[in-house]
Amino acid sequence: MLKITGLESGYELLQVLWGVDLHVDEGEFVALLGPNGAGKTTTLRAIAGYVPALHGSVTFRGQQISGMSPNKVSAAGIGYVSEALNLFPSMSIYENLLVGAYTVKDKAKIKANIDLVYELFPRLHERSGQLAGTLSGGERKMLAIGRGLMPSPSLLLVDEPSLGLAPIPTLAAFDALKQLSKRGVTILLVEQNVNTTLRIVDRAYVLEQGRIVLEGTGEQLLGDTHVQEAYLGI
Amino acid sequence: MATVTAMPARSRKQVVGRSRRTLAAAVALILFAIVLPFIPPFTGQDYQRYLVGAAYTAALAVAFDFTAGYIDIVNFGFAAFVGIGAYTSALLAVDLGLPPGLGLIAGAGAAGLVGLATGMLTLRLRGIYAAVMAWFVGLALMGLVRNLTDITRGSMGLNVPRLLGTDDNLPYYYVMLALLLVTIAVLTYVIRSNVGLAFRAIGQNLQAARASGINPTRFLVLNFTLSCAFAGLMGGFYAHYYTILTPDLMSTTRTIEVLAVAYIGGRGSLWGPAIIAFPLYIGTELLRTQLASLPGLHLVLYGLLLIVVMVYWPGGVAGVVRKTALWWERRSEKAADATTSSAS
Amino acid sequence: MTTATNLRTVPLARRFLTFTWGVVALVVLVLAIALIFQPSIFVDTLVTGGMWALMAGGLALVFGVMNIPNFAHGEMFMIGGLVSWVIYQPIRDAFLNDPKNMFLQVVGPIPGILVAAVVGFLVGVLLETVLFRALRKRSRDQWVMNTFLLTAGVSVMLVNGDRMVFGNDYRGVPRYWDVHSLQILGVPVAVDRIAVFVIAMISIGVFSYFLQRTRTGRAMRAVSQDETGAQMAGISLNRIFMLTMGLSCGLAALAGAALLSIFPNSPDVGVQPLYLAWYVVILAGLGNVQGAIAGAFIVSLLQTLAVTYLGLGWVDVAPTAVIILILLFKPSGLFGSEVKGVWEQ
Ligand SMILES: Nc1ncnc2c1ncn2[C@@H]1O[C@H](COP(=O)(O)OP(=O)(O)OP(=O)(O)O)[C@@H](O)[C@H]1O
Ligand SMILES: [Mg+2]
Repeated sequence: MLKITGLESGYELLQVLWGVDLHVDEGEFVALLGPNGAGKTTTLRAIAGYVPALHGSVTFRGQQISGMSPNKVSAAGIGYVSEALNLFPSMSIYENLLVGAYTVKDKAKIKANIDLVYELFPRLHERSGQLAGTLSGGERKMLAIGRGLMPSPSLLLVDEPSLGLAPIPTLAAFDALKQLSKRGVTILLVEQNVNTTLRIVDRAYVLEQGRIVLEGTGEQLLGDTHVQEAYLGI
Repeated sequence: MATVTAMPARSRKQVVGRSRRTLAAAVALILFAIVLPFIPPFTGQDYQRYLVGAAYTAALAVAFDFTAGYIDIVNFGFAAFVGIGAYTSALLAVDLGLPPGLGLIAGAGAAGLVGLATGMLTLRLRGIYAAVMAWFVGLALMGLVRNLTDITRGSMGLNVPRLLGTDDNLPYYYVMLALLLVTIAVLTYVIRSNVGLAFRAIGQNLQAARASGINPTRFLVLNFTLSCAFAGLMGGFYAHYYTILTPDLMSTTRTIEVLAVAYIGGRGSLWGPAIIAFPLYIGTELLRTQLASLPGLHLVLYGLLLIVVMVYWPGGVAGVVRKTALWWERRSEKAADATTSSAS
Repeated sequence: MTTATNLRTVPLARRFLTFTWGVVALVVLVLAIALIFQPSIFVDTLVTGGMWALMAGGLALVFGVMNIPNFAHGEMFMIGGLVSWVIYQPIRDAFLNDPKNMFLQVVGPIPGILVAAVVGFLVGVLLETVLFRALRKRSRDQWVMNTFLLTAGVSVMLVNGDRMVFGNDYRGVPRYWDVHSLQILGVPVAVDRIAVFVIAMISIGVFSYFLQRTRTGRAMRAVSQDETGAQMAGISLNRIFMLTMGLSCGLAALAGAALLSIFPNSPDVGVQPLYLAWYVVILAGLGNVQGAIAGAFIVSLLQTLAVTYLGLGWVDVAPTAVIILILLFKPSGLFGSEVKGVWEQ
């Protein structure tokens, strides 16, 4: 579904990615792991169209998407939940979700998706009128994921949902992602929380200094000595 | 200040060479400005009038650039300070019979004082807020001058005695040129001093400047006051040269004309605005007289140039010159390197 | 479903003790007194306030969504008046030749006013696509200040372009609707002014509905709050910027057209409306559209009071003084602001 080959990318003065190869198949739940500053966020931003690809290609369902503007990528069916969340602080939860469904024309579908989000995160339902700027950290994450789901993306990119969350909300966030995956949403998840992540995903990549250094199923990587030493502290 | 000794030998030679070249260019330009009225067509009274206007505009643009280019505050009420100087000097001459020469100084003082007060109010704000605040203060000042008709005669216009006992434009040109040079000299001196270093630090990054122990407000106000004082000085000249004053002198349009010259010339250089003012002013004046059937054409050009500079050409003329000079230096440096290496 | 629960958490009494609400209460009080002792102040405030609301609402919108402090906003007012004048002249001649033609007399001014709004919209679209997009592509450093100066250039160009083509003369119409004044609260009010008020109210209503309830309006607000977030939702920034600039300029042109009989068209007719719109926007907080609509009536009241008690020359000076005070003590505006991060830009 998503195929990245030889992706090089970065910022004005600093190249971050030095040839990333990865692919995500239909229905898969894939994680991208790595230390701080490895370029995980940059990879997602490159897929979503926020940073340009210097070299290599990103294709989605056979269609070249590198070089597309972010809104086109979104319209092509890739949802992106960023690290910063980028919610609309002066809008209510409900309105945030409505904006999320900007590309959806069918009113019934919008309603169904809102119901789905509310079902997944009952908390959002309870507070649907509250302004996003006044939500707690956990609620914001839920809203960001919920907003990302509104256009029914076929692929969801999620950047560190556990960042800044206490253990219990973290588990809730992972749980929600797992549920989504079961419902057939393809997910590419960036995480630092290696242990938990490897237990819920199908496959994972390890990115270090802008290059993919390891790839395997969750179990394989849990058993890998490098992963154990560098990420699990074993 | 800048410790020249710490630099490697080659670049010190370069710096010395560069400043010598700059000095030579400046002297050449000044000489050119002095002999210009003797070169046709500038021998005619009409052209000499343009020259006076050009030097006047140049001085205003330099004073404007002193704040816009160095502390990054756009004084949208600039013309009002010109007006304060003009009206002060004019009223002193009309009501008290003060000689215009002293009036100019008084005008500069008055504009400086009002500038000081405005600066103390405005410069707590930054960016667009400071610009808008200065703009509104300027509007309020203009409103006062327009409404206090008992003193200023408002829109009816105030008749002002001439600065010199002659109608010949040539002496006025030299007076204005002297004022322009004094403005450039004083402001350049300030910029080159420690104070100027602080201005730059503040203009580039207010927080960092504050962190390194600079009290920004003091420097900002100092800069603003100086700029306003020079604006007032030119205003005095304006009053006693054109001999009729209306509040329109203080309007925002006048500010934008000066602003356009400053930005087209190149923000943050002083010399860019000063030099570009001459061709720009004289060119547009010629256009205006040649194409009297198209009123406003010259200002359309000002607007258009300002737009082009803002969108495509942020450094203005000075930026282009600087880039070219840099390119030239690199090239000749490379050539020099090539000769030395082939010689050894 | 969308009640703002966060308001409930602030005790009611405290909300009413704030500076802002103090000012609002004062305004309401003055208006109430005016209503009893000098109804003309009340009527004048409402009639001009409506139009300044259109001007200021558009100005605030463009700042909120695009971070552009538009100095050329007054020229959109000027263009609106010009377009309406050009279109209305032949219609007026037609019914002056045929005085019995009631239809033309009643409906005649409408095409000019509508076309003016459309032309204003198109000019806005043009400004965005030709200028702002190019600048955005080059650099977004110092965006706010650069666009301010850029629009100053646009303003000078448009004013003098108009002067070049149409000359310095006033181009006005004595009245759009040449009928007897109506009595409102014992004050005679020209039908033109009533029409102006009605046009303003309808436009404000449609504008607010558009921003609050429609998909595109919501997208505009989304862009103003978080550009990246909006892009994530599939919103094209370029499209929204284009529409925003168009809408803003269209509203200003509409105001200029509707007010043609009160502000006869000339190259610099936009100057005063520009100042007023800016006063309002500063009063309300840059980028706060709803605040701007409310603030327009406050500024209009200040103006009316200044004219009534100080004389016509002070119509701008008095509000300027008040606005300077507000800038000094509450630069974020009376009503706070939705925009963040404009301080150091
Ligand atoms: N906007 C930017 N401009 C310049 N450099 C940036 C920018 N954003 C990130 N970087 C740099 O790019 C490198 C990779 O950053 P990235 O955010 O992709 O890392 P990451 O793997 O997501 O790290 P983390 O786990 O800490 O989120 C870092 O060195 C960072 O400093
Ligand atoms: Mg990251």
